[in-house]
This record gives sequence, C-alpha cells and structure tokens, in this order.
Amino acid sequence: MLRTTSRFLIGALAFALSVVACTNDPYPGADQRRKVYYTSFNEAPKSLDPAVAYDTAAHEITGNVYGTLLEYHYLKRPYTLIPGLAKDLPKREKAADGGITYTFELRPGLLYHDDACFALNGKSADGKPLRTREVVAGDIAFELMRVADPKVASPVLRKFAAIKGFLEFSKRLRALRRASPNFAGQPAHVQYRRAGGIAGIKVDGKYMLRLSLSRPDPQLKYWFAMPFTTPVPWEAVQYYDGDEGRPHFRDHPVGTGPFRLAIYQKRLRMVLVRNKNWYGVRHPEWKAPGATYPTEGSATDRKRGRLDAAYAGRPLPFIERIELRLEKESIPAFNKFLQGYFDRSGIISESFDKIVLNDALSPEMVARGIRLEKSVQASIFYVGFNMLDPTVGAKAGDRGRKLRQAMSLAIDVREYLRLFQNGRGVVAHSPIPPGLYGYDRTYRNPYSRFDLARARKLLAEAGYPKGIDQRTGEPLKITFDTGSTSAQATLRYQYFVNSWRRIGVDVEVNATTYNQFLEKLKLGAYQIYFTGWIADFPDPENFLFLLESSSGRKASGGSNYSNFSNPRYDTLYHAMRAMENGPRRLETIREMLAIVERERPWIELFHDESYVLSHPWVKNVKTFGLSYPTLKYLDLAPQQRARLRASWNQPIRWPLWIALALLAAFIVPGIVTFFRERQ
Amino acid sequence: MLAYIVRRLAYGFATVLGVLGVLFVLFFAVADPDEMAIRAIGERASPETYTAWKHNHGYDKPLLLNPQHSWASIGRYTDTLLVEHYERMLSFRFGRSDSDDTPIWTRIREGAGPSLSLTLPLFVLGLLVGAALSLAVAFFRDTYIDRSVLVLCMLGMSVASLIYIIAGQYVIGKLLRWFPISGFDTDPSMIGRFLAIPILIGVLAEFGGTVRLYRTVFLEEVNRDYVRTARAKGCGEIRVMIHHVLRNALLPIITNVVLAIPFLFIGSILFESFFGIPGLGALTVEAINGNDFSTLRTIVYIGALLYIVGQILTDICYSLADPRVRLGAEASG
Amino acid sequence: MSWVGNAIVAVLLVAGVFIWMRARRNRLWREAMAALARRRRFALIILGLYVAVGMLDAVSWVGGGGVQGVAASEARSVIDRIFKPSVFREKSYSAPFASAEFVGGAALTFPGRHVLGTDILGDDVLYKTLKGIKVALLIGGLTCLVLIPLALLFGVSAGYFGGRIDDVVFFVMSTLASIPNLLLLIALIMALGKGTLQVCFALGITGWVGLSRLTRAETLKLRELEYVQAARALGVSHPTIVLRHILPNLSHLVIITFALLFTGLVLSETILAYLGIGLDGSWGRMIDQARNELSRDPVIWWTIAAASAALFILVLCVNLIADALRDILDPRTLRERA
Repeated sequence: MLRTTSRFLIGALAFALSVVACTNDPYPGADQRRKVYYTSFNEAPKSLDPAVAYDTAAHEITGNVYGTLLEYHYLKRPYTLIPGLAKDLPKREKAADGGITYTFELRPGLLYHDDACFALNGKSADGKPLRTREVVAGDIAFELMRVADPKVASPVLRKFAAIKGFLEFSKRLRALRRASPNFAGQPAHVQYRRAGGIAGIKVDGKYMLRLSLSRPDPQLKYWFAMPFTTPVPWEAVQYYDGDEGRPHFRDHPVGTGPFRLAIYQKRLRMVLVRNKNWYGVRHPEWKAPGATYPTEGSATDRKRGRLDAAYAGRPLPFIERIELRLEKESIPAFNKFLQGYFDRSGIISESFDKIVLNDALSPEMVARGIRLEKSVQASIFYVGFNMLDPTVGAKAGDRGRKLRQAMSLAIDVREYLRLFQNGRGVVAHSPIPPGLYGYDRTYRNPYSRFDLARARKLLAEAGYPKGIDQRTGEPLKITFDTGSTSAQATLRYQYFVNSWRRIGVDVEVNATTYNQFLEKLKLGAYQIYFTGWIADFPDPENFLFLLESSSGRKASGGSNYSNFSNPRYDTLYHAMRAMENGPRRLETIREMLAIVERERPWIELFHDESYVLSHPWVKNVKTFGLSYPTLKYLDLAPQQRARLRASWNQPIRWPLWIALALLAAFIVPGIVTFFRERQ
Repeated sequence: MLAYIVRRLAYGFATVLGVLGVLFVLFFAVADPDEMAIRAIGERASPETYTAWKHNHGYDKPLLLNPQHSWASIGRYTDTLLVEHYERMLSFRFGRSDSDDTPIWTRIREGAGPSLSLTLPLFVLGLLVGAALSLAVAFFRDTYIDRSVLVLCMLGMSVASLIYIIAGQYVIGKLLRWFPISGFDTDPSMIGRFLAIPILIGVLAEFGGTVRLYRTVFLEEVNRDYVRTARAKGCGEIRVMIHHVLRNALLPIITNVVLAIPFLFIGSILFESFFGIPGLGALTVEAINGNDFSTLRTIVYIGALLYIVGQILTDICYSLADPRVRLGAEASG
Repeated sequence: MSWVGNAIVAVLLVAGVFIWMRARRNRLWREAMAALARRRRFALIILGLYVAVGMLDAVSWVGGGGVQGVAASEARSVIDRIFKPSVFREKSYSAPFASAEFVGGAALTFPGRHVLGTDILGDDVLYKTLKGIKVALLIGGLTCLVLIPLALLFGVSAGYFGGRIDDVVFFVMSTLASIPNLLLLIALIMALGKGTLQVCFALGITGWVGLSRLTRAETLKLRELEYVQAARALGVSHPTIVLRHILPNLSHLVIITFALLFTGLVLSETILAYLGIGLDGSWGRMIDQARNELSRDPVIWWTIAAASAALFILVLCVNLIADALRDILDPRTLRERA
C-alpha cells in the first residue's frame, strides 16, 4: 500500500510542480529582451510571388522583403512618393513622336540578401559558392516581363498597358510557347530574351531603366512603389522550381528589402529577420530617404511623438525580427493582444463597446497605456443609380435627377455609421477620400446632408409627390440589387429601404449571391445597387475613373457600374489624367466633382476608417490608409513589454490547491476505514 | 505457424485492396474533375491550364474503360483511373494536393511529428492513469470510493469531447491562465506548455471510458480461482493485485493498446484544430474545408493501412501467446 | 413536407403500442421491464419527456400563418406554436430572465420572458434547445432504424448460412471496419453531400459493422443449439427458423447496441457540426456557433450551456438505461430465470 500511495503522491507532486512552473507565454524566455515584433495573420498567403501577390496576408511579407524603386513618405499627407532603391524620382521626358519616357536610375552597390540560388553564378575567389550579387536594372526589366507573362497570371498585367510593346510581348510569348514545346521548356529568362523582350523597356548600362509609353500615364509611377515592380533575380526563378525538394519561387522570396524571410511555415508561423545586406544597414552614410527615419512631418506627428529627436534622421530598421503567428479566429487573437502577446491589433466588433467610448479609448484601456490610432482608408462606399434605367437614370432627365437628389437627402449617414460600423468612418461628400490630392476638407456636398423636408419637396418637384407618380397615379417602385445574403448585410440594406420609405419611395431589396449580382450587372438589369471601392494607389484618378463612360459596365465590363456618361466629365477626366499635380489639375477636379454633385449618379456614403490599437511599448506608430509596409519605422521597448506582460498574466493557482485538498478529504477516510476493516 | 502468418498477411492485403476500392467509389465516381479544376485555379484561366491541371492530378482518364484503345489491347482496361488509382496508392506515390499543389507526402511527413508529439504522451498518460486508477478501484471494490468513481465515469462518458475541449480551454487557459490557449512550437523547451492543456483535457475526456473498461477486466480477474488460491496462500492484497491480476488482465488491455497505435499517427482532428497544432488532424480539417480530395484520399488510405497492419500484428501476437488460436486455425484451415 | 413528420409520429406511436402489447404477454420481458422501471425510474421519466417533446416538434401543420412574420404556407409544429419564435424575437443577446439587452443595455421587447436568454439573432435559447431534441432523436433513431435491419441482415446471413456468404460478408465488414470511423464518415459526407439524409446514411454505414459482428458471433452459437438443429431436421424452412428462433434471441443484443449506438451517433454529430457538416438545428451546431461567445468579455455562457446540458442529460439517461439493460438482459440472468 505504501508503494501505491507514494507513487500517487509523487505523481500529484509532479503535476503540482508543473502547475507552479506554468506560464501562458507562447514565446521563449530568451526573446524577452530582444526587439522582436509580434503580430498575427489569419490565413496562409497563397503566393509570395511579387508579380502575383495581391492579398493582405501576402503583402505583409512581400512588402517587407521586396524593395521597390519608389516608396511613400512615412509621415507626409497627402501621400508623397520618395525614392527607394532608385536614386531619385523618375525623370519624365517628352519624346519626339509624342510619347513619354520615364527614366529610373538605380543606386549602385545594392545587394540581394544571401541565398543559395546565386550559386548558379559559380564560385567566388576563395572557392565558396556565391551567395549574393549586385542588383541591376535588368532585374527590374525581368520582373516587368514576368508580369506580362501569361503563365505567371499576374492580376495587374493590364495596368502596364501604356508601356509600348507590353501587351504584344505577352501575346508573342503565348504564340511561341504553343508553337514549340522546346521553347516552352527553357528557363523563363531565356524565353524572354528569345522572345525579344518588351519594346518599351530599355536597360541602359547596369543602372538605368528607360520606359517608353505610348500615351501619358502619370499613375504609372505609383506601381513602382508596389512589389509588382521589384527587382527579381533570374537565378531565384530558375532555382526555386519546386523540384528535388527545393521550394517553389512563390514560397521562397529573394529580395532587396529591409527584412528577409527566415522561417516560412505558412500554416503556423512566419519569421522575418533584419536583412544585413540591405543598403540601409550596409550604407547608413548614404542617408537614403528610404532607409532613414523622416525628419519632417505635421504638428500632429510631433504631438504624437513621431518626430522624437531620438529617431529623426536615424538609420532604419530598428526592429531585429518580426514574428507572425497564425490565429484562425479573431476573438482569441484579440484576447492575446489584450494579454500583451501581440503588439498591435484591430478591434473586433464584439468588444468594441468596451474598448471605445464616445469616440475615445475607454479608461480601462488608457490605464493600460494602450493607444488608439485612427486612419481613414483610401476607399469610398456608395449607393449607385444605373443611369441607363428609364426611371432613375439619365433618360428621365430632370425628373430623374431630382429623384436621385431627393433620395440622397433621405439617408442619414451618421446614423448608419453608428448602427453598423460602431461609428467608424468619415461621411463622404465626394468620391475622393481624405489623404488624396483633390480632397477638400471644407467642401460640403449639399446633398450629403440629412434633410427629410427638402427631400420630400424635391420628390414632389420630380413629379412623385408622396411617392405617387403624378402622371400615372401608380406608386413609385424601385428595386435594390445586392450581392450578399448574409444576415448582417440584409440589416444594412434594410436601413436604406427604411430611410427611403420615410419620404414615400418604395424600394424592394433583391438579394442574391455575389456571382449572380455580377451577372445582373452584365445584363444591365438593375436600378440601384450598393458597393465600395478601395484605392490601389493614392491618386484621385483611381476614383474618378469609376464615373468615366468608357469604364461603363455595359460598355466594356468596367467598374463604372452606374454607366454614368457625361461628355463634359469625360473630357475633363482625360485632361486631368495626363496632368501632374498643380492648380490646373485641382481646377479640373473641382469641375468634375461639381458635375457629380449635381447629377447624383451616386449617393456617396462614407470612407472607411480603421482603428488600430497599439501597446505602450511600440513607438513611432502611424497607420497608412493604403496597404503599405511600415514595420521598418517601428521601434520597441522590450523591457517595458516584459514587465507589463508579467503583471497582466499571473496564473491563478489557488483552485488547484483547494481541489487537491477536497480530493484528499474525500478519499483518505475511505482508505483508512478500508484498511482498518481489513485488519 | 508460418502458414498462419502467410494467410493472415494475404487476407490483410485483400482488405487493403477492398479499402482502395471503397475509396475509388467515393472519391472518383462522385467527384467532378472540371469543378475541382475551377476551384483550384480560379475561373479566368485558359482551357489549356485546366487540362494541364487535370492531367497533373490524374483526373483526365476515364473511370473504368478507356474507349481510346481497341477491344483487344490491354490498354483498354489498364489505362483507366481505376488502375492508376490502385497503382499509385500501392506504390505510395501520392501526388500533389488538389488545392495548392504541394506534394502530399511532404505534408504528411511534416504533420506526423506534431501529431505524434500530442497523441503519444496523451496515450501513454491516459493508459497509466486509467490503469492505475482502475486497479486502485478494483482494490477498493464495493466501498464508496468504488461507487463514486463509477458514477464519475458514467458522468464523464456522457459529456461530448467538444465540450471538454471548449470548457477546458476556457477554464485552464482563459480563467486560470496556466498555459497558452493555443499555439505550437517544435522547440523542445517550448513544446511542453503548448501541449499541457490538450493532454490534460484528453486524459480527462478518455478517463471515464478507460476506467470503466479496465475495471471490468480487473474485476473479472479478481474473482478467478487462482487469485483466491493466491490469497489463501497468504499473499498480501497488493501483491495479489499487481502480480497476478494485472499480469493476466494484460492480454485484453494489450489488444486495445496495439489497436490504438495506428491512430496515434493520424492525430486528433478536434484537438489539433482547437489548439492550433499543425499535425495530420489539422491537415484533414484543411482538406475538408478546401474540398481537397486527393489529400483526403491519402489520409484515409494511410489510416486504414495502419489499422490493418495493427490488426495483423495483434493477431500474430495473440496466436504466439495463446496456443489455442494457432491450433484452432490450423485445425480448421 | 409536414405530412412526413406526422406520418412518422403516427407510425411510431402505433408500433410502440403494438410492441408493448406483444412484450407484455411474454413473462421474461414483463419482468425485465419491471426491473428496469425499478432501477432507472428517473432516467426513464426524463427520456420519456425528451421523446414527448420530440414528437410534439415532429407533428406540424399549416394554418394560422400570414401574420407576424410567418408565411401563410409555412408548416409549424406544436413547439413552434407555443413559442412563437417570429413574435418573441429580440434584437440580439440577452441574459436569462433579463429585462435589458446584453450589449448596450436597451430595454427588451419582452422582458423576463426568455428563460434561457437569447442568442446573437435574438432567438429564444430555450426554444432552440427544445427544437434540437427532435434533431438528436432523428440522428439516433432514424440512423439506427436503417442501420439495425441492415446489420442484422448481414450478420445473421453470415452466421446462419456460413460458407461463401460468411466469407463475403466478413470481408466487407473487415474492409469497412479498417477505415477509421471518423475518416470514413468524412469521406462519405464529402462524396455524398451534406444533407440530412446523407449524414444519417453515412453515420449508419460507419455504425453497422460492430452490431453485425456481434450478431454473426451470436448466430453462430445459436445455430448449434439443439432445438434449432431439431427444427432443421424436421424440415422447417430457413426463414421461419431465423424469424422464430434466431431473431428473438438476438433481441437483447439489439436493444443494448441500439442504446449504445444512439449515444455514439449523437456525440459524433457534434464533431461533424464542428467540421461544418452537421445537421441544421442540432445541438452540435448550436455549440459550434456559440463557441466563441465564451471568449467575449463579459462572457456569454447561456447558449452553449443550454445546448451542452441538454445533450449531456440525454446521453447520460440513455447510458444509464443501457447499463441497467445490460445487466437485466444478460443471457445468463435470462436463462436462469427461464
């Protein structure tokens, strides 16, 4: 009996000891003093190929691993381009035949991060295989050719159509591959060379890249701030083909960014470490704009501590490692943030009311030192009218216009935001969101107000007093086509319907799946719809094109779902598109917005706003309204973090002792009686 | 003896073929290759890409009869999905996943480690705790301890495993903050804290059924004649329990144990997905969510294969240990 | 489709009465039932309540619709009419017996009326829990109804006829038994689709092997009994022997296995619900949907507690009854009494 009892006691003791030593810290203790940034992702990225990656999860990696010729200034608003890998912003010249040329000059002496693929180039002087090489302009040309390659299936191929020979190159590659399987079996860079390359892309020496455009495209330069145009070494594409145990290039990036991907377990954990070959680390003396903390900003930046003397002008990056952990569900991920195990996080709607009170952080959060950063996204959400419809569209002339204006006045956007977005968002007065050139903070769209009386008056003027058509005596009925049947979306649509019902307009919601909604758009059989648009890059053209006639859904399957077609607007658009920012451009944009205000093809609702929480130990936080990597500007205070985490996460041990005591009290009498009876 | 082993192996192989047949009917006869191709590559790819995908994943041949070959040639019957399916599975060439093209064997190899790191300690601990507790209960039979443990077992068996996991995560992870709620790390110094909650909950969930089962086995032994003899000879009760009862009750226990070993590799679907452990169970859930038939096929096949191997081993061990089985088989065979 | 539910209830009631009257005539069964009623009175009462609620939910008819959110052509069951879900719906969460909404504190439309609170869409949790009873009984009952005759057919044929038939059936059984249960279930559902019938069918296929093995072993033993051999010698046809002598002696096995299978099936459905392939309205679905509510701050516990408790009580009762039945119907006790 003694042996069994003693065995049990030892077991219980061991368990109790393990509980005493327990901790809910998911990270090794050695990392506590290090500048490691922790964040979560909820879905494995599909592909890290820079020509293909277009989703947020992939962009977290590609944005930090792949360097770009141009970058955005961290603090300046509206968003301003600064040189990154390039020495300066591109030079723009008008060619003799009316075309435009952009010339980029790459910095000399840039290196890729160390990688095994460069062994394809042979051995170095001391007999060891080469592990890196200098970045040349030809690598950027190679990546542009990859974007044009139909086999790569890049989603942004069409955006570069302005470059001479871009689309032709794509077609040529396809034809050559179909004609000769021998050709198709060659490595990519050989195929591109044999196909003759892209006519409008010329590489001059090692560092000069010249792009010839067949028509002006001032927005083109924004694509050079995205990984689609990063320099890519042909060695990586050839070496990482997925055979013989080597990963595929889409799972193994080789880049020039401030970090490199050290661990890629995409269903568990991804780790980025500081790239020691990055030009910011190797040549801090260059004081390159893309590798130095900015020295200029706004008064708000100064107030928020982003222009601290400790950081202004210092070389980047400050963090040594970034750890991304998979968290499939949002609620546990947010809880881990509250425990201090993730450094920044959004706010889940379930906990919103506890975190934010009256537009500011709740006292509980403030007591913990957590900071809230609001940033308006470069986006617009709106209800649109199909201008081809006889009742609500352009064909109805004055009646139609007044009807659209009346319906605009009946929507209380502020109430909508309060009900469905926890109050997050900025009421929209025009298609252009804050932070972009052309956005006017003082401009108030007269139809963005909530004015039921005026709405009813306009409705009567339009010939539908109290919602009855004066001419026919029939009540006015409009259908609202939507692309979502989820419970939450239905509630939102119902809000609009209820708003219009108040002025007497009867609107019926016709909800289908998103695919069926797109089908309806193709057929042109709709009157009003609800949708949103998020910017690719911060230029007003990316929003104003949504109302230009050649982008019409019916006309060309484009994104102008309203099929808005106003000749004056179109002329202004084409002019504005080719202009560089300046007073003339501003004037043109203002006139375009005036047309939109009057004609009301859209009821502009709101620009989305993101709320990001940060712990007190994260420094230099500023959120971007675009998908853009900013981790190289952040800094951490690891001692403070370790201290706060420990205080927030003390394990509670007393229930165990009580449970063990109760158990003992229960069993011991039985054992004692048993043995006494036996004896 | 050899004849028995050979016969047993042959029967096992026939069962494997049967299992492959069932899998073929389920996964090929019912699935539509075109839909799978669209789901994998998207809707806007060219027709050549779809054909290439179908070819790479082995969906481009006819099911049973290939009309492209003439009546006389053997190709008519062998150049089909059915034959190719058998060929691939039996030679362990599992191909690539339907949803993201990674080689299935790589995924399985990567997932086996984490799965084992959870199921092995869980199994061993569950076994030890269950056996020790049921032995103790058999020792204290007919006391209130015995009865209350029985009641506990009954209650424990009636709770769904899902509830154990959810409640356990909540209490131990969120309320008491003893260990991280979820996550995983292959580093040996870190792995303990991530596996603590799943192992605790796993042992708790199995406890009811295991103790009841072993208690019955032990009680049957305890009432046997030889135990009474041993007691009459003057052996202490403890010695009787451990040396006689435990030893002889070991046979049915071992049968259970050996049969459970194959499942250690497959991992636990529930535990792995709740606790974020990237093992084979999580791979199965991913395959279900992504409609990844090729991975699902392979996992089911491997599970069945391991089970059949386990059964063959059990039968052979049994026949070695128990002469009656061997002789009986030989007499009738 | 409401007539299907009504028809099933009617058939069950009639069959139940019929079996009850036949069993009462047999002394053994009478004594067995009395013993069960004595030992597990409480569990039987609770199980009876569950079955009653399930039947009330299965009986439905069209009528009284067209108002208050109910379509004119919608068939509603007794439970639906008592609880009137479309009338008594709140906006969102509320605690049991509360008079204010959980989030925001606005006043409820029907304060104090929701005994177990409301879920995210404002539906009464007690109502949803009671609706889940029918689904649970469906999973256990319907599946067993299909599974047991199938298992008996195969098991008895294999045991009784022996030879080739035995070999074939045994082979099929080993093949299906070699595939781990959960994996086979998943494979079947992925292949067949995620509807109610398909899920029950898949559950049935994964369950019949165990019972089949038992009946086969038992039939092998029964075949060698003296009176069976005598009947064969007298020239009685095979079907008659099976019906008169073999099947009745298997009934105790069937009943015990039914009880065990029932709980196993209902518990398996919770796992399927977690994987996304469960039945609509089942407790497994409720638990899966309410899973994240425990992580909220403050905690929302009533949905998951109600579904878990309902499931636990049902499974516990059936387990207790099965346990008692196993003792009562032990062939040794039966033969001793005879």
